[in-house]
Amino acid sequence: MFNYYFGLAVRSLRRNIVLTVLMIAAVGVGIGASMTTLTVFRAMDNDPIPQKSRQLFAVQIDNWGPDTKSVAAGDKERFQEQLSYIDAVALMNAKAAHRQIAMYKTGAALTPANPQLLPFQVQIRATYTDFFPMFQTPFLAGGAWSADDDKNHADVAVITQKLNDKVFGGGNSIGKTINLDNHEFRIVGILATWEPTPQFYDLNNDTFAEGAAIYLPFTRAIDGQMPSWGNNNCNGDIGQPGWEGRLRSECVWIQFWAELPTPAAVENYRTFLNNYATEQQHLGRFHWPAHTRIRDVREWLAYQHVVSDEYRILVLVSFSFLLVCLLNAMGLMLAKIMGRAGDIGVRRALGASRRAIFGQCLIEAGVVGLAGGLLGLGLTALGLLGLRSLLSEEVSRLTHFSTADIMIAIVLAVVATTLAGLYPTWRAAQVQPAWQLKAQ
Amino acid sequence: MEFRPILSAMRRNKVGAILIAVQMAITLAILCNALFLIEQRAGWSKRPTGTDEPNVVVIENQWVGNPPDLSARLQGDLAALRSLPGVQDAASSNTYPLSGGGSTTGLSLKPDQKNATAPASIYFGDEHTIAAFGLKLIAGRNFNSDEIVDKVGYTDIKPPAGIIITRALAETLFPGGSAVGRSIYVDQGQQGQIPIVGVIERMQVPWTGAGGWGSKFSESSLLMPFHFLSSYPTYYIVHAQPGQAAEVIQAAKKKLFDISRARVVEKTLTLTTARAEAYKDDKGLIVILAVVCASLLAVTSFGIVGLTSYWVAQRRRQIGIRRALGATRNAIIQYFQTENLLIAGAGALIGIGLAVSLNLWMVNIFAMQRLNTGYALAGAIVVLVLGQAAVLWPALRAASIPPALATRAA
Amino acid sequence: MLKMTHLSKAYRTEVVETYALRDFSIHVREGEFVAVTGPSGSGKTTFLTIAGLLEEFSGGEYQLDGANVRGLNDNQRSRLRNEKIGFIFQAFNLITDLNVQDNIDVPLRYRGFNGAERRRRIQEALGRVGLSARSRHYPAELSGGQQQRVAIARALAGSPRLLLADEPTGNLDTQMARGVLDLLEELHRDGATIVMVTHDPELAVRAQREVHIVDGQVVDLAAQPRLVATANANT
Repeated sequence: MFNYYFGLAVRSLRRNIVLTVLMIAAVGVGIGASMTTLTVFRAMDNDPIPQKSRQLFAVQIDNWGPDTKSVAAGDKERFQEQLSYIDAVALMNAKAAHRQIAMYKTGAALTPANPQLLPFQVQIRATYTDFFPMFQTPFLAGGAWSADDDKNHADVAVITQKLNDKVFGGGNSIGKTINLDNHEFRIVGILATWEPTPQFYDLNNDTFAEGAAIYLPFTRAIDGQMPSWGNNNCNGDIGQPGWEGRLRSECVWIQFWAELPTPAAVENYRTFLNNYATEQQHLGRFHWPAHTRIRDVREWLAYQHVVSDEYRILVLVSFSFLLVCLLNAMGLMLAKIMGRAGDIGVRRALGASRRAIFGQCLIEAGVVGLAGGLLGLGLTALGLLGLRSLLSEEVSRLTHFSTADIMIAIVLAVVATTLAGLYPTWRAAQVQPAWQLKAQ
Repeated sequence: MEFRPILSAMRRNKVGAILIAVQMAITLAILCNALFLIEQRAGWSKRPTGTDEPNVVVIENQWVGNPPDLSARLQGDLAALRSLPGVQDAASSNTYPLSGGGSTTGLSLKPDQKNATAPASIYFGDEHTIAAFGLKLIAGRNFNSDEIVDKVGYTDIKPPAGIIITRALAETLFPGGSAVGRSIYVDQGQQGQIPIVGVIERMQVPWTGAGGWGSKFSESSLLMPFHFLSSYPTYYIVHAQPGQAAEVIQAAKKKLFDISRARVVEKTLTLTTARAEAYKDDKGLIVILAVVCASLLAVTSFGIVGLTSYWVAQRRRQIGIRRALGATRNAIIQYFQTENLLIAGAGALIGIGLAVSLNLWMVNIFAMQRLNTGYALAGAIVVLVLGQAAVLWPALRAASIPPALATRAA
Repeated sequence: MLKMTHLSKAYRTEVVETYALRDFSIHVREGEFVAVTGPSGSGKTTFLTIAGLLEEFSGGEYQLDGANVRGLNDNQRSRLRNEKIGFIFQAFNLITDLNVQDNIDVPLRYRGFNGAERRRRIQEALGRVGLSARSRHYPAELSGGQQQRVAIARALAGSPRLLLADEPTGNLDTQMARGVLDLLEELHRDGATIVMVTHDPELAVRAQREVHIVDGQVVDLAAQPRLVATANANT
């Protein structure tokens, strides 16, 4: 029967081509607008590491206390999102988690071996060896540096494939060195493309950016006095002058992550952190009771407000637009179906049950939805192209259409249009079979 | 025009009429909120920085390694840049307006004040900075060259000999009074008393995000008399003669690399370009919202055309009979226009309510401002006019139905 | 075949309740050709809509082909209508955007026949009404008489037990009307049960038996059959 209804739907749609085009256009435009924004929204709201997002935790320790102005009044959840060097080192030494890393963003001038080439700027992430297994970074060659390298503040580096291509023209560059601000670093690993979106592990500056080109041991970067290129927040008290002063200050500039594979581990770590903060209170460093938090990746992204208000509003606006388009299509469907009441009456007289009429009209609505969805896909592609030219490079990275997005568009179009078609269809099923006899 | 027959006809097409009214209501709600947002963002992205944007060139400079003679290199670079043809003046700074990144401090009136009186963004500079940015000194004096000292990275903490602040900051600190000659404290008084030596008319903070960091104190900036020496990238601010920015950029790059190749010049741009980049997403948002609004109006009006055409077709015979009974063409047109006015009027009323509640909701959820009621009223007028325009074509078609139709069989 | 006993049908409005049929009894036997006549507003059409299961009735009994149809739900009624009844309407009621064979196909689809069976029945029905050559024409391309023959073919295709015709020649000129009536008679001779509603006495005499309805009740024609027949003969 489906084939028959489908054929009828196509025939019926072809009969009143103007109404049909209006309906399909309405659905298509609505789907196009909503899918364009939804695609970007989904990319922003993406879980960048789904297989581990419930096991990786960002760590917060309140080292400024409750009467800090930057802490939102009365909101115990809002406090500094990074750690001081003192706390970062203490937590690294405690090794209370399955894996843990402290890290920060820095940068340098890279001088290519070829003297003809000019030095260029590179973004660097100073971190620990566990960064790589924790975040499951894919290696093209080599691997992470060793725990000993961390301990020895070694001159080693992991670089990205992109940088390897740029500096060495590709190939296996393990063992070669790169020159960063006149210091040579030995390459131990080359990362294949790894661009988690959003860049959950450090959301301070470049939420959707490319990430670092080079990874160095944290201990080595501190030795080299490589300053943080990310957010440094000192809460008024900037500490003593000089690098050593900064390391001993309560300025926060280090991201800290812990891998806690089981609920028990999570609980233990919470306890550990509170004990640590309480100990700091006893030592006289903190003048307030322990105030710490750990948040897994999804909680962290929500907490950090990764999807900006603008995009939430945009999604809201575009889905309201879709609603208008559907109401529109619904009005047109109603007009179309009521215009066909005669035919429906005849069909009813010839033995079509209410259910049959209902099915027939609903499939017609579904066909409109399908056609609208296909049109909408085209418009979404155009819309994303438009966004790419309109928006900054950072956001443009989020304008790519995945297979899932295509599925969502089609399903959304068909389901939404069918829902919009429910009322007209119900009206159609109410047409009395006797109608034609009476109307004479 | 009598309403009663129209209302009773509408009662029979109840759902169709409701659908149109609801569409118009939502259209109105989105339209005026979107236009409001567009207007706000357009205004936000047009705020002046206080600098001579088209002629101010920014050159990002990063030294390779940490050369010990950074101070001399910086002075050499600046002297060379100032000597270039087409250059009015040049200075160096840690950041520049529209850059999106910078440093903030809290200013206090007393040394041991727990919470600062006013936050402000910090620009490091020397006696050339005001001229290099094209700022306007309105009170006090510029820095003297002997006040300028080197600051080696952000961790090099030392008190400035004096500061120059913006008028907006001066008014926040000393409402109604003069700021020049007064003193303030930074960093909880760790640097001691700092005298204010001058006031500039305007200098925007480096951050540009609407509702983002710095948006609450976007006019509060201060200049500190430091030559910033760092392994960070720093910025040469070069004020070109009007219209010569492009030539100056080329000449400056060449000059800098002639002096030394051990540097990275990651980017060179004018502040006009910096503005375009800084507000690209805001502009994008404006365009997207405008496109959605236009599509919304188009879809709604096509919907009205479609549904009204159907009603006309449905009532052909009835209209023919009316014509036969003496109704003029105008009477028929008026009938449909009045009908649409009633529907759109209802839609506009609901829409105004919807627009205001949508706005209130967004004020709560998002960092959105209270809607100006003028927008809701303007939106209502747009929707009413749109309805009248959309209904015109089907109404004209209805008016062209011949009275003779009444005599023919259905 | 069709048996109504003490059947009544009331239409309720807010103010009054009017009976379209009251204590209405009729029995049509298998193979009969019955004409139902009566003045305008007498209840003929109401009778037909109830007989065709297009509407429900208020009281009494109705047995169609031995089955009591009282209280059946919409699905069951649709099914019965589809299997047992063929309709022939005054206005033909062909679906204008379906061609001849697709029109005939409509009830067969709802019947659930497979493709081969449907094609066979369409051909056979078209053959019956002499329109095999027109199977791909659209209603608008046919004359009124041809359209009505398509409608008859559509009514026949499902091999219904009962044909219900409502003024089948009402929209046709005399010559076309004669052709359609000849066809109905031929169907009757072949064993079809036909109930035809008409206000045209000339048509009524072509039926085997005439049932006259006045004010929603059957008037006993046995008392005055000659009179009607004579009056008809004289016109």
